[in-house]
Parts: sequence; structure tokens; C-alpha cells
Amino acid sequence: MGRKLLLDKAHIEGIRYYDTYRKNGGYAAVEKAFKMSPADIVEEVKKSGLRGRGGAGFPTGLKWSFLAKPEGVPRYLVCNADESEPGTFKDRYLMEFIPHLLIEGLIISSYALGSHRTYIYIRGEYAWIVDILEQAIAEANQAGWLGKNILNSGFDCQIYVQRGAGAYICGEETALIESLEGKRGNPRIKPPFPAVKGLWDSPTVVNNVETLAAVVPIMNIGAEEYSKIGIGKSTGTKLISACGNLNKPGVYEIDMTISVEEFIFSDEYCGGIANGKRLKACIPGGSSVPILPANLLLKTAKGETRMMNYESLADGGFATGTMMGSGGFIVLDEDQCVVRHTFSLARFYRHESCGQCSPCREGTGWMEKILNNIENGKGKMSDIDLLWDIQRKIEGNTICPLGDAAAWPVAAAIRHFRDEFEWHVTHPDEAQIRNFGLAHYADPIKPAEAIAGI
Amino acid sequence: MEQKLLKVTIDNITVEVEPGTTILMAARKIGGDVVPPAMCFYSKLQGSGGKCRTCLVKVAAGSAADPRPMPKLVASCRTAVMDGMVVENITNPAVLEARKGVVEFLLINHPLDCPVCDQAGECDLQDLSYEHGSEVTRYEFKRRTFQRIDIGPYIQLHMTRCILCYRCVYTADQVAGNREHGVMDRGDHAQIATYIQKALGNEFIGNVIDVCPVGALTDRTFRFKNRVWFTKPVDAHRDCPTCKGKVRLWMRGDDVLRVTARKDQWGEVEDWICNECRFEKKKVSDWVIEGPTRLDRHSVINAGHYVNVVKPKETFTSVMDGRQPKLLMDIHSISDVNTVDLNEIQGPATGQTFNGNQMAVGHNPTDLKAGKGANPKGTDSTNPETP
Repeated sequence: MGRKLLLDKAHIEGIRYYDTYRKNGGYAAVEKAFKMSPADIVEEVKKSGLRGRGGAGFPTGLKWSFLAKPEGVPRYLVCNADESEPGTFKDRYLMEFIPHLLIEGLIISSYALGSHRTYIYIRGEYAWIVDILEQAIAEANQAGWLGKNILNSGFDCQIYVQRGAGAYICGEETALIESLEGKRGNPRIKPPFPAVKGLWDSPTVVNNVETLAAVVPIMNIGAEEYSKIGIGKSTGTKLISACGNLNKPGVYEIDMTISVEEFIFSDEYCGGIANGKRLKACIPGGSSVPILPANLLLKTAKGETRMMNYESLADGGFATGTMMGSGGFIVLDEDQCVVRHTFSLARFYRHESCGQCSPCREGTGWMEKILNNIENGKGKMSDIDLLWDIQRKIEGNTICPLGDAAAWPVAAAIRHFRDEFEWHVTHPDEAQIRNFGLAHYADPIKPAEAIAGI
Repeated sequence: MEQKLLKVTIDNITVEVEPGTTILMAARKIGGDVVPPAMCFYSKLQGSGGKCRTCLVKVAAGSAADPRPMPKLVASCRTAVMDGMVVENITNPAVLEARKGVVEFLLINHPLDCPVCDQAGECDLQDLSYEHGSEVTRYEFKRRTFQRIDIGPYIQLHMTRCILCYRCVYTADQVAGNREHGVMDRGDHAQIATYIQKALGNEFIGNVIDVCPVGALTDRTFRFKNRVWFTKPVDAHRDCPTCKGKVRLWMRGDDVLRVTARKDQWGEVEDWICNECRFEKKKVSDWVIEGPTRLDRHSVINAGHYVNVVKPKETFTSVMDGRQPKLLMDIHSISDVNTVDLNEIQGPATGQTFNGNQMAVGHNPTDLKAGKGANPKGTDSTNPETP
């Protein structure tokens, strides 16, 4: 049983409300933090080794220390609750059931960064969570945790909730800032980075909901102890939202010491593949990260057991590895069609491309059309190579990571499941009736073969 | 205090520039082939650039202090130079490959209706695809299309051709003011539009036609009047109460067919002009003519305007050590394009015009001056009786 830091009190009835939360040791971290200096808190977060939980896994303490602090210019903290990655729903759970944990984390972080106006940018589809957060903020205000002169420290802070209008791209930090300013959600060209010129041209830190919530346990148990949980540079606990063909899909808190196999098959977590089917493939970190076949998912190319942490999932690079991403764990069983799945993702990215830079705007639509053809039995063998070429020309050539996010799933699907794509081309009629099945994707592979990749 | 100049090396050519200069502007200081093409960047519009990705370059060394290379290709129009930066543009095959990819992306939804497009001949996308694109397309789907819209009495928007460079949006913001159009929707169905069919009425809004790199925004007073390479550009000015009044007239005989702003060697407008100069003053008597515009010899607009143009010096024999190369076709011996003054002939030029019979003109059924320009001999490519 792994240690729980974020969801340890989630089961308590009424934890959503201030009184219950306070009675169960809530806001103790704020009391502790306000006795420290802001610089000490940043140092503490740095020491804890906390990494951004939004997808990129950038060390949070380092990000905070990059924040420019010019005189006379306000600084802002923005909480990125625009959780729109297909397969990721961990922040929703956190905000819906323990909103005060986020508020508490936001107060500490605002104090550490000197942000007097802190924003939560939440996706428009989470309409009911806005009400929950607003209520929690009102309660915190009433109890004196927000507003003027918090705990007689002379620090003023107020939290505002801003709803997005349903664009995936607004989860990218600079697009989020643009949208928060009331403009069209187009990502900005970096540099300047938000830490220097962000919201209203002021220094800004944008952090994921889970990252900010994790500041609370760091304050409570101390950075030292927090950094002991987990392995290597993957410290603390991580929320994983598991979905797909699983017996027990849901949000799990793991301490990054367990293996992928344990996570999928043990009864404590997902409880195995539903209906007694076999595992075919998995996307371990939200739709943008490369898909892996069963054999490479459970064991790395070197033959080691793959663990649920940043380093182990990324082992082997993109040739044989994947990424931790945002923790949207999507499992595909033997009945699922990877081509159809890739088509569905390509359609999503085509729909969500902001249309600002040409490779992403034109390339995502092109990939979707080709995948649609292959899926519906109108594909050609040369289309597979064409897809590969298109994704290669999108990746890395765009303003924001959405181009990469659109290219990686297609690249990984072709890299690992080329047989299935070719079968769709050579057996167009059969592909309409049945799926390619598990094929050889769960067979153990020879290390040398895997390392060669494509 | 004098600012310290930064040294930057682009394709092994070192240049010194002021701090804050972008890689693209540094390359323009060098000039020639090392200048990355720019479809969306416009040095006179703040905030433009970074969108089309044709100007991608490789930064092989970030600066003298931190000589690590940048992990991705960067947009040279929006990346400031650092002291000791080393940039690879045409010397790096990965850059050329990426650029070729971008050109392909830009063209997959572009209609390629150059034969009927007013912009043809002075189109940035045409030049870009000739220089950096490939001859064939791998795109085999239906292209995105939009309806043509007249936005106001002077400008027509043909969204199908648009490459979403955002230049016209920045122009309306920074030059005209009171912007009434913008980008709506997202992804590959994003479009330049006015909200609920408004007319653009600002007195400087005509400049969006000049900044448009393709034929998406065209001059309604010039539409289908003539091909740009049949008109003769002349610099002229007038006393204009609203703008500087320095313009370029595009003439055919004594008719002013079109008025545009003057453009520099990078295709950028030198001085913005007002709508009155651009659309209302179409008589020679309105203007003080300064003289013919100097154009790049390679420009298609240059073809056939000036008599006695000096033929380029042949360097083949000296380069080839005296050996005469076997050419399939020597363009200079068969082309008399530069010896015919198109202003002298009446009506469109045909092959006959260049084959000695200078007075021969074709018959253009759509020509309003048919009586004057019609050719009794019928030297017309559509006529099988043509000698």
C-alpha cells in the first residue's frame, strides 16, 4: 500500500466543506508556511524535488526561482486547471472532492511567489467545479485565510476563478495567459517566457492543479521526507487517472515505486484488463505521449521492469519508451484497433489546433484525412510513409507543443504498430469487419531488436 | 553611451548588429542568399512573425558565453541574436528540409489559381514555392474553400488563398487603427473575417492589400484589369493631406491602372498610403511623376518594359575554361522579350509580337476597347487560321 499524501483524506464525508477540512488538519500547512520567509518556501519546494504534474515534468522549485522580481511590477500565480488532455481527469477529482487542498496550496504558493492576485483558469466544461471552487474560496475568505493581512503577516492575497471557453490549446501556458487577458487563445512565441513577461506583461508562474496541491504535503511533512518518497528524481506521489479497458478505472495516487505491471494488474490499483482480455497497448501519460505495445510497456528494451515514474517510462527515448506526461493512463485491450485509435486522436488535434502556425494548422488536418482513408479501407501503402513524413515535419517546427503532441501519437503508432497499418491497407474489406487483434504485440522481444527501433 | 555591437555568424558570414536585432534582420544586413524567406514577418509591424515557420534556422551555438546549440529549429524573425551566435540557414540540410515541409503545408490548401489571381507576379508565396518547394504535391484531398467576400467598396477578401499570416490584422491595429476584422475560428478552418459582414472603412485600411503576401486581399478597383507584368511601375507623388503621398503608379500607356505604396527590396511598404491616394487618384494629372521604378532584373514584372536593357554578361566560357557548354536552349538567343516595348503595342502581346512582327496584336474578346485593339489578321492562338 503506497503512501497517500493528496488523497489521504478524500474519503472523509464532507471534506469538500471548510469545517470538516479544517477539523482534519487542513490549513495547518498555511500556518506553518507563514512562519517561514517566501525564499525559504521556494527553497523547500526545490529541495523536495517536486516536478510539474501537468505533463512536461519540469522541476517546480526551479521554475519558481526563475520568476523575475522587478520593483513595482506585480507578480502573478496562475493555476492551470484547463485539464483537457484526452485520458486525463486527475485535476477534476482533486478539485471536485478536496477543493480546499488546492486553495491551501495556492495560498502558500502565492505567499512564496509574492502574488497578490492569483487566478485559477479552469476549463469551461468543468462548469460545476467552478461553483465548488467559488464556494471554497468564499469559505476561506470568511475564515481569514484569504483577503487582507492574512495571519497578521501583512500579506494580501485573493484568488479568482476564470472559466475558459472549451479550447484544448488554452492549457498551453502562454495561450492560457492570452485567454486570461481576454484575447484569442493563441500561444505566444517564446522567449520571453512567462517568468519574465506573462500575464499583463508581468512575471507569471503557471502551475498545474496537482503541482500546487502537492505543496501542501511538502509543507506538512517537510521537504526532506517528501523527497524520500519515490525513486531518484521522481519524488513524491503522482495522481494517475486510469481509463480504458480496465476492471477498475479511476484516479489513483501512486508513490512512483510500483511497476507498470503492478499498476495495471494488482487489485489495489486497476485490477487487470476487463472481461479477461489481454493487454495490447497503453498510453501511459495522456493522449499526447507515444503509445507503447504491451511487450515494451511492461519491460524496457534492456529487459528491465518498467516502473511508474518519470525516468523509467522515458527509458529508451521515443524509439522504445514513452513519457509520464500528465498521468492519463489509457489502456487498450486486444479488441481495440490502433489505427482507429490514432485516427481518433488525429481528429482531436486537428480540431484543437489554434491555426496560428502553418505546420500544425495544415499538417494535423492532412494526417486526419489520410488516417481516415486507411481506417476506412481506402488507404495506400505509400500513405504510411507519407504520414511518417508529415509528422516528422510538424514535430519541433511549431510555436507551441501542440504540434509535437499531434505528431508523437502518430509517429509511435506507426513505429510500433506498422503491421496493423499495413494490414489495414492490404485487407481493406476485412478491416471493416474485424480488428487486427493482439497479434505479436505482447510477445517478449529480444533486447537488440527493441533498441534498434525504427 | 555607445552600445556594444553583437557579432553573429550566419552561414559562415559574420556581421555586427545592435542588441535586440533578430536573426532575420541580421541576415538582411548581410543580404543575398542567406536571408531566410518570410511570409508572415513584417519588420514594420510590431508583433508580426513567428507564424508561418518558413524562416526556421538552426542555431548551432547560442552565444559566446553559452555555446550550446538550440535543441529545435527557431523562427529567425522572432529570435534575438546574442554575441557570438552561430546560425546555419542554407548550409544546414535539416533547415532546408523543414522549409520544404512548411512550403508544402502552406500549399496544400492554397488554390493554385495563379492564372486568374491578381497577385500573380508579385506574390510572396509564388516566389517561395519556386525557390523552396517541390514540383509535385502529395496532397490528394479536397482543398478548403471559402466564398469571396467584398469587405467594403475597395477590398475583396478571397479567404481560400489566405495563409493566415496575420499581417493584415497587425496592419489594421497599428497603421489604420480601429480594427474591424480579425481571425475567427481555429485550426484549418480559421479565417480572416469581419464580425457579421462589416465593411472596412478606415482611411488607411487599403494598406492591407500591400502587406498581404498572397492574393487573399485584392484591390477591387484593379481586379482583372491587367496582369502586373504588363503594367509599368512608375514612382510618383502628390501633396496629400493625410499621408506622405509617395506612391508607385502601375501604368499601361497613359492609364494609371493601380496605385500602391512603394516597396523596398524585401517587399515591405516604405510609407503607408491613404485610401484616397490608392483608390481615387487614377489620373496621371493627379500625380507628379518621378521616373520609372528600379526593379530586380529577375522580377517577372521587369519583363518587357524597358528597351535596350543590357544583356547579362555570359560567364560560361570563362568558368568552363574555354570549353563551350552544350546547352539545350540558350534563353538569350531565342528570347526577344526585352527588346519589345509593350507600351507600344495595343492589346495583349502574343508570340507574334516577339517574332519580329511588333505591331501584331491578339484579339481579346473580353477587352472593352475591342474596336481599337482587334486585329484584322486574326493572329490569335485560339484561331486555327493564324499564320
